[in-house]
Amino acid sequence: MTPLGIAVPFVDAGLLAQLLLGALAILAAVTVTARWRSVAAGTAVVAAGLAAAATGIAALLGAQGSGLRIPIALTVTAPLDPLVLAPDRLGGLFMALAGVVVALAALFGIGYAHGPAASRTGWTAFAVFAVGMQVVPAATDAMTFLLAWELMAAGSTALLLADHASREPVRRASVWYAAMTHLSFLFLLAGFGVLAAAAGGTSWASIAAAGVTGPAATTAFVLLTAGFATKAGLVPMHVWLPRSHPEAPSHLSAAMSAAMVKMGVYGLLLLTLRLLPHGPRWWSLVLIALGAASALYGILQASVQSDLKRLLAYSTTENLGLTTTAIGVGLLLRESGQIPVADVALVAALLLAVSHAAFKSVLFLAAGSVLHATGERDLDRLGGLAARMPWTSGAFGIGALGAAALPVTSGFVAEWVLLQSLIHVPARSDRLLAIVIPITMGIVALTVGLGLLTFVKAYGIGFLARPRSTAAAAGHESGAAMRVALVVGAMLVIALGLVPGPVARALAGAVSAEGVATVGGAGLSLAAVQVVLNPVALTVLALVILVPLAAVNVVLARRYPRRDVELAWGGGGQRTGPRMEYNATSYSEPLVRVFRGPLQASQLVDVAYHDRAPLLIEQMTYTQETGDVVEERLYLPAARLGTRLGDLARTVQNGSIHRYVGFSFAALVLVLVLVAL
Amino acid sequence: MSNGVYLQLLATTTGVLLLSAVLQVWGRSTVRAIGLLVLQGTALAGLVLTVGVHAGEAAAPLVAGLVLVVKALVMPWAMLRSARVIGVTRERSARVKPAIELIGAAALTLLAYAVSGPILGDRTDPATQAVPVGVSLVLLGFWQLLVRGSAITELIGFLMLDNGIATISFLTSGGLSLVVELGATLDVLLVVLILGVLAVRLHAEQGHIDISELRELHD
Repeated sequence: MTPLGIAVPFVDAGLLAQLLLGALAILAAVTVTARWRSVAAGTAVVAAGLAAAATGIAALLGAQGSGLRIPIALTVTAPLDPLVLAPDRLGGLFMALAGVVVALAALFGIGYAHGPAASRTGWTAFAVFAVGMQVVPAATDAMTFLLAWELMAAGSTALLLADHASREPVRRASVWYAAMTHLSFLFLLAGFGVLAAAAGGTSWASIAAAGVTGPAATTAFVLLTAGFATKAGLVPMHVWLPRSHPEAPSHLSAAMSAAMVKMGVYGLLLLTLRLLPHGPRWWSLVLIALGAASALYGILQASVQSDLKRLLAYSTTENLGLTTTAIGVGLLLRESGQIPVADVALVAALLLAVSHAAFKSVLFLAAGSVLHATGERDLDRLGGLAARMPWTSGAFGIGALGAAALPVTSGFVAEWVLLQSLIHVPARSDRLLAIVIPITMGIVALTVGLGLLTFVKAYGIGFLARPRSTAAAAGHESGAAMRVALVVGAMLVIALGLVPGPVARALAGAVSAEGVATVGGAGLSLAAVQVVLNPVALTVLALVILVPLAAVNVVLARRYPRRDVELAWGGGGQRTGPRMEYNATSYSEPLVRVFRGPLQASQLVDVAYHDRAPLLIEQMTYTQETGDVVEERLYLPAARLGTRLGDLARTVQNGSIHRYVGFSFAALVLVLVLVAL
Repeated sequence: MSNGVYLQLLATTTGVLLLSAVLQVWGRSTVRAIGLLVLQGTALAGLVLTVGVHAGEAAAPLVAGLVLVVKALVMPWAMLRSARVIGVTRERSARVKPAIELIGAAALTLLAYAVSGPILGDRTDPATQAVPVGVSLVLLGFWQLLVRGSAITELIGFLMLDNGIATISFLTSGGLSLVVELGATLDVLLVVLILGVLAVRLHAEQGHIDISELRELHD
C-alpha cells in the first residue's frame, strides 16, 4: 500500500529532522532574546513534534527505515550491538503519539510559558525532553533506549524544577519525581542487563532471537515491569504523579501526562509482545492486577480531589491502569489460545493509550489556561468560567467527555472496545478466565462509572455556575497560540471518536491483530466479537431526534419568557449566591463517606461563636482532607527507615580515634579467625 | 650453639616478650610501662641474636645491637622525656575496668594461640612454634590502643604492636636482612619522636593527654 521506494528514506529523514529540529530549538532557546525566545524555540519544538508525528505515522503504516546509526563509539568489551534508531510499527505509533502531544504542548507553551519556564533553561529542557521522548520508541537496542529514556527524564526534571526558587512545593515535587524516575531507570538498567547477559546481545532482535526463558526471563520481567510501571504511574509507584503534575508548568504536565507515561505502556508492550513473548500465565495476571488496582485507586482518588491538576494526575493513573489491564487481558487470552479476542483487547489497549493522549493533553492545557487566567487550580474557588473563557471551557468540556468515556469521543470508543473484548471472552472452558475476567469487568465498569462522576465534577464545578472567588470572576480568555492548541486537541478527541474504524485498523497493524475492519468508511467492525460501532451513523441518528426537540424547545422558550423565582430558602429576600452552590468537596462528599479507608479522609468542622452572644455562631469552617494510603503506608515508613539507618551510620562514624582503632582491630581479629577456620 | 641451649634461649626470650606484654596491660604507671618496654626491647634483641646466630648469619649481632639501641634505649628514653616534660606519670582514669582489660588480654592470647596453628600449617621447627607469642604481642598492642586513653600509653601500645610484627618476622624468616630492619626500625623511631612532640603540644593545649576526647581535625 505504501510506496516503499519513497518511504524507506522517509523514516530516516524524519528521525534526522527531529534530532536537528531539537538541536535548533536548543540553539534558539539559548541565543534568542527573552522577548522572542518562546516563539522561536517553541516553533522549533512544534516542528520537531510534527516531524515525529509524520515519521511515526509512516512507520505505523509499515514504512521501514534503513536505521539511523548513532555515531557513539563505546570502548567496552561487553557484547553491545550498534546504537540504531529504526521504529517498527508499534514504535511508530508511540512516536506519532508523542509527536502530536509535543506539538500541541509546545504550541500552547509559546503563549503560556512565562517566568522560569520561558527561560533559556526552561526551553532547552523542554526541547531535550521532547526529542528524548520521541526517540524512545525508535530505539532498536537497550543502550539507545536507555539513553533516550534518560534524556526524557533529565529534561522533564529540569523543567519541573524551573519554578523552584519561588515555590516550596515545587522543590518537594521535584525530589519525588527525580527519585521515582531514577528508580524506574535503575529497574530498567538491571532488567535489560539481565536480558542482555542471558541473550548475549543488547538489540531487540538478538534478545528476541535468543528466546530467553527460566529464572533469567522471570527476573527480567519483574524488573522491567517495575521500571515501566513506575514511569506509567501505576499503583503503588504512582506517588510522583499527583505531586509533580500540579507543580509543573502546564505544557510540561500535558506532555508528561499525555505522552511520557505512555512510554511505560510502550515498554510493557515491547517487553511482552516482542522481547519475551512466551511468558508464563502469571505474568499477564500481574499486569491485570497492577492495572485494575491502578484504575480503581486512581479514579477513586481523582473523584475526591479538589485541585484540578491533581485530579487530572490521578485520572492519568486510572487511564494507564485501564490500558495495562487491557494488555494483561490480551496476553492472558493469547496464552489461553483465544487469539481473536486477545487481539481485540490489545487493540483496546492501544486505543486507550491514543485516546488518553488526546483528551488528557486537552484537559491539562485547558487547566493551564485556567491557571494562567485566574491563578487558581482549586475547584472550590473556580466556577463560572464557561461565560468568561468560552474556548477553554469548550475544549475542557470535550476533553472531559472523552475522559468520562461518553460518545462521540475517543474515550468512548476505547472503553467500548475494552468492554467488548471482556464481555465476549468464551470463559466456560477455562477456570482461570472464568474467575479473572468477570472481576476485571466489574472493576472496569466501576472505574468507568466513577470516571463519569469525576469529570462531571471537574467540568460542572470548575466551569459552570457562578464564580466562587474574585480570581475566577476576573477570568479572561487566553491568547491565540493557546486557543489554537486547545481547539486542535479538542478536534482530535472528537475526530478519533467519530472515525474509529481507520484508527483501529492502523493500530491493529502495530500489534499484528486481525479481525479489525472498517465499516462504512468510518465505523469499526470487530469480527472476533461480532460487533459493529458506527459513531457517524449514531450521531446522525441522535441529531435527527435532537434537532426537532431543540427546535421545539427554542420556540416554546420564545413564547413563554423566563420568570424570576425567589427561592424559598432565601427567606424571600436572597437570590442564590456562590456560597449556596455545590462545590467540589460537597459534590464528592458521599464518595468520601463510602471509601473513607482507602482515601484516608479526615473532616474538621470548626465553629466560631460570637463574642457577646455565645449561642450565636459567627463562622463555621469545614475542612476535608484526603491522603494517599500508599504514600502513607509504604513510602513514608520506607523513608523513615532510611533516615533511621542514616542516623545509625552517623553513630558508627563519630570521629573518635578509639572507634576507628576498634574497627581495624575487629577487622584484624575477623581475618585471623577466618583464615584459621 | 647446641640445640638445647638454642631452645632454652628461644623459650626464655619469647617468654619474657609475652610476660612483658601481659604486664603492660595491667597497671597505670607510665614509668613502669616504659620500663616494661625496655625489658621487651631487650628480649626482642636477645631473640634476634639467638635466631640469627643459630641460622649462622654474620650480621646477627649487628641487627641485634641495632634493635637493642633503638627499641630498648632510644625510644623509651624519648618517651620518658616527653612524660617528664609533661609531668604526667599516671593515666588519668580507666576507660575500661582493669578486670575486663585483663580478661580481654587473656582471651586475645588464647586467640593468638588458636589461630596461629592453622596459619602456620605443618611447619615444626622450634622457632615457628613460638610465633603465637608474636601474634599475641600484635593483638595485645592493639588491645592497648583500643582501651587506653593517654597519648603515651597509646604510643606504648603501638610499639608493642610493632615489636609483635618484628617477632613474627624474625621467627618465620630466620632473621631479617640488616637493611630491611634498619628501615622499619627508623620509621618507628620517627613516629615515636613525632608523637612525643605531639603529646607535649597536646598537653600544652588542653592540659591533659587523653586522646579519647579528640573528635575532629582542624586545619
